[in-house]
Amino acid sequence: MGGVILMAGIANKMASNQKQIAISEFFEKNKHFLGFDSLPRSIITAVKEAVDNSLDACEEARILPDIIVKISKVDTKKDIIELQTEDNGPGIPQKSIEKVFGQLLFGSRFHAIRQSRGQQGIGITGVVMYSQLTTGKPTHVLSKIAGEPAAVSVNIGLDTRKNKAVKSDQTRVIWEREDLTLKEHGVRVTTRMKAKYQRGRQSVYQYLRMTSIVNPHADITFVDPDGEKHHWPRVTERLPSKVDAIKPHPHGIELGQLQRMCRESSDSRLSVFLRQNFSGVSMRAAKELCEAAELAVSTKPKSMKPDDVRALLEAFQGERTVGGKPIKLLSPPTNCLSPIEEMLIKKGLSKTIDSKFIATMTRAPSVSHGNPFQVEVGLIFGEGMAADKHVEVLRFANRVPLMYQQGGCLLTKAIESVDWRQYGLEQAGGRGVPKGPAAILVHLASTNVQFTSEAKEALSDNEFVFEETRKAMLEMGRGLRKHLEKKKKMAKTREKFELINDILPAIAEKSAAILERPVPDLAGSITKIMSAVICNESTIWNKETKQSDVSITLFNYTSRARSYSLLVNWPEKSGAEMVANERGGRKEAMGIWGWKIETLEPGEKAVVEYSLSGLEKGDWTETEVFFRGSQDVIGATKLDEKMLVEIRRQEEILTQVESSTEEVDDASEESYTPGVVEGDSNQTTLFGGDV
Amino acid sequence: MARVNDPELTKARLHMVVEEMYDRIVKGEPPTMTLPVRTKNNIGFDRKLGVYKYGKKRSTRDATSLGSAKNLLRALHVVEFIEEMIEAGKSSTLREMYYISEAWGLGKFGSQNESNNLAEDLEVVTSCLREDFKLRPEEDGARMIGNVTINELNRRGQWMTINARDDVGDSGYGLPYNVEIEKIQLKEHDVKFLMAIETGGMFDRLVENGFDEEFNCGLIHLKGQPARSTRRIMKRMNEEWDLPVIVFLDGDPWSFRIFASIAYGAIKTAHISEYLATPSATYLGITADDILAYDLPSDDLSKKDIEALNAELSDPRFADSWWQDQINMMLEIGKKAEQQSLAKYGLDFVTDTYLPEKLEELGLA
Repeated sequence: MGGVILMAGIANKMASNQKQIAISEFFEKNKHFLGFDSLPRSIITAVKEAVDNSLDACEEARILPDIIVKISKVDTKKDIIELQTEDNGPGIPQKSIEKVFGQLLFGSRFHAIRQSRGQQGIGITGVVMYSQLTTGKPTHVLSKIAGEPAAVSVNIGLDTRKNKAVKSDQTRVIWEREDLTLKEHGVRVTTRMKAKYQRGRQSVYQYLRMTSIVNPHADITFVDPDGEKHHWPRVTERLPSKVDAIKPHPHGIELGQLQRMCRESSDSRLSVFLRQNFSGVSMRAAKELCEAAELAVSTKPKSMKPDDVRALLEAFQGERTVGGKPIKLLSPPTNCLSPIEEMLIKKGLSKTIDSKFIATMTRAPSVSHGNPFQVEVGLIFGEGMAADKHVEVLRFANRVPLMYQQGGCLLTKAIESVDWRQYGLEQAGGRGVPKGPAAILVHLASTNVQFTSEAKEALSDNEFVFEETRKAMLEMGRGLRKHLEKKKKMAKTREKFELINDILPAIAEKSAAILERPVPDLAGSITKIMSAVICNESTIWNKETKQSDVSITLFNYTSRARSYSLLVNWPEKSGAEMVANERGGRKEAMGIWGWKIETLEPGEKAVVEYSLSGLEKGDWTETEVFFRGSQDVIGATKLDEKMLVEIRRQEEILTQVESSTEEVDDASEESYTPGVVEGDSNQTTLFGGDV
Repeated sequence: MARVNDPELTKARLHMVVEEMYDRIVKGEPPTMTLPVRTKNNIGFDRKLGVYKYGKKRSTRDATSLGSAKNLLRALHVVEFIEEMIEAGKSSTLREMYYISEAWGLGKFGSQNESNNLAEDLEVVTSCLREDFKLRPEEDGARMIGNVTINELNRRGQWMTINARDDVGDSGYGLPYNVEIEKIQLKEHDVKFLMAIETGGMFDRLVENGFDEEFNCGLIHLKGQPARSTRRIMKRMNEEWDLPVIVFLDGDPWSFRIFASIAYGAIKTAHISEYLATPSATYLGITADDILAYDLPSDDLSKKDIEALNAELSDPRFADSWWQDQINMMLEIGKKAEQQSLAKYGLDFVTDTYLPEKLEELGLA
């Protein structure tokens, strides 16, 4: 449920005030960070809360979400609009509806640290409040649970004096869809509010478009106030992996939180409390922490004085030491993160933007101040986008689009820190958001997303996240440069082919005709003109077989016989299979296949063909060809053997990580992931790896 | 070089261009077209002819890049087209050829400039003139006023006798694009010299003021960079009637170039310099001294002007000390002036004071 952590903070504030604050007053005072500070933003916030809820509910119930959002104008003069959202989630039981829509949520899951959408915003309750306050009308909820014969229809309002939800008109109804079939399960929320529907970069449309990019498993339909229907179809059947909650890590905890944990603890010994409520604390570390804080291991947490708690926190942070050394703690586990993953980002991007080049990258998980995080980026480049404008920056935190305060956001700063000019984009002075026909996506998945302000629209500075993002950007840049260089080379090659296939024969024929002589043979001239070995690659989606057909042709236009090894990259990691590969060849490394091309005589050509199955359209659009051999090949890259070694090395690490993760799962919370070091990740890729 | 005026010889020379390509293919080499380098780095003074001609530097256009291969193919189409015209007794303008090339598929021209350049290339390689190729320019011929009588063969095949003072209006006699002997005959004249004028405004001023009659001269309006026929008619009158040619232009780097093309030959047409250039032509003004001496209203030199002047300093046609001084002086004062800036002192200043003074220096007044 959304808003858990934020609401807890607000609850604290309210409690400390010891005063009953009327909801309307509370709203008025906090609307800037609740997301209701302007009429255009209010509708976006409302959509956001409703859609986040639907996505979370579906994810939890392992249902592929179908979400419909409708906005219609009720009273244009008074800026009253109606929002209706509908999902196919599990539905909300009748007795819970009141709680979900009409209650401020206090931190029942407070100790749970996990990657969740709901870290942002106030939750759907805020929408109910806002509607009530601006129109005086309750919010209508229709909820159907699978197996129940009828749906619950109920109006939820708020008693602004008692801060309590008010139910009215509750009945059971038959929920039929537009096509008169019965709705099996789901929730529909209808609410009226004072708000303004706008278009542009900060709009409901953009919010849903961005949401669909990072939720490729969702099918989203949007009907705007003009009745126009926008549809972003589901591009994968794979639901995001279920994320586990982890315990907080001592490096990432604050005083207030620690105080509360101690107060609420029923443990009798501090050492046990430390081991069982924190991640990364071994038995030895627990004892050492007590020693550093000058507290007995037998101290009862509940009876700790404020100074004791502060001492413990100082031990956590390495300010109190044992023998001059901070207490060594293990990194928190990173399996609590749910990245979107490269292939799905690619799919998400390519469904909303039509383009020729897409590079995506999911960095290995990393840790900052005790919080696991993972950065994912995508870059899409092509003719469909404006070439003279700034590239579109699509920012996300835990799969939630960030739409405001782009300039002040850490993710934007990381993009701006890259000199994009060397990668083929325009950028004044090598700083700032680059210009060009491109869009850049950045997603931060983390158990603790830090924002610059309570508005929760810009990420605050963090050197580890910055570095990870920057590295990923550089990698994208290298990929883009490669793509552009290849494009240029291919254009040159195409010209040469036009020359020998069209122009030269025409010259021969015309000159022969004018002189009234026989047309001469062209073979010699062609070899002299090309004087190179040329490689032509094509990767084409085959609609009928649902496979990507790859064809590579190697022409020897030199005067000597040549022999080569050809290598290609292919999406082995993403589960593709290589079929109809008649030449055979062999696996050289993960995702790298090679063939030996024996003696290619002058004027001869060799063809390598295969298909990739298990992919969908748009998954694999370009194949990189490498070669081993002495003579340069136009249209292919000379293989860097070091790169191959690096890929093989990484492959080994990955297998190790996988097997050790399994062991850890069986063991205990003392999980430790090898290969993941705080603030650093070793990642090497085809485009050249880390800087 | 002179006019070939022999269809068979023209065809034979064009065939040599085709043979070069054909033979290279037969030898298993990329086809080529060899021609002189047509830049200022490859023009030299021909003592015998008194004009600047292309030197020995040759460039080979070979079909190893798409651009030059297309150029060779276009050349073949043009050769074929010329042969067809010769055989059919037709002619076409360069612009018409450009449009006809639409039907040449891969060999079609990308721009009119390409077709003009290729026609010149073929002239250079074959030592023929475009008149031999039956290709006409689009460019305007000059206007001429003065007591000069010529015979012109009109389109009905009759010779007309025209006096360029008595038989014409104020706009003068318009020169046709072909001023060769088969079209224009120089009959008689009563003038002491010819004055070539850059701008229409100044030409009309001199006509209105009756300068041609008072000073007994022929006036020719160049219309900026003069067309081939304009340069050719001046050359003919200079040679056949022994008339001095005086050139009166704006005072800027571009006018210097116009003068160079009249007196020494243009870089683009250096293959036919001896046929177009008048080596004895004299530059009257506006000079850099004039700007100072007459205190003329002037403009600052632009960046492009300065670049052009610097380029002229290394141009062999401006190598003599008088030109070097003029160019350096203009760079020094950083100013340029138009012919019509003389109007600062009244409409008659140019005919009453400036030109008489300048002509007197030249011994013509």
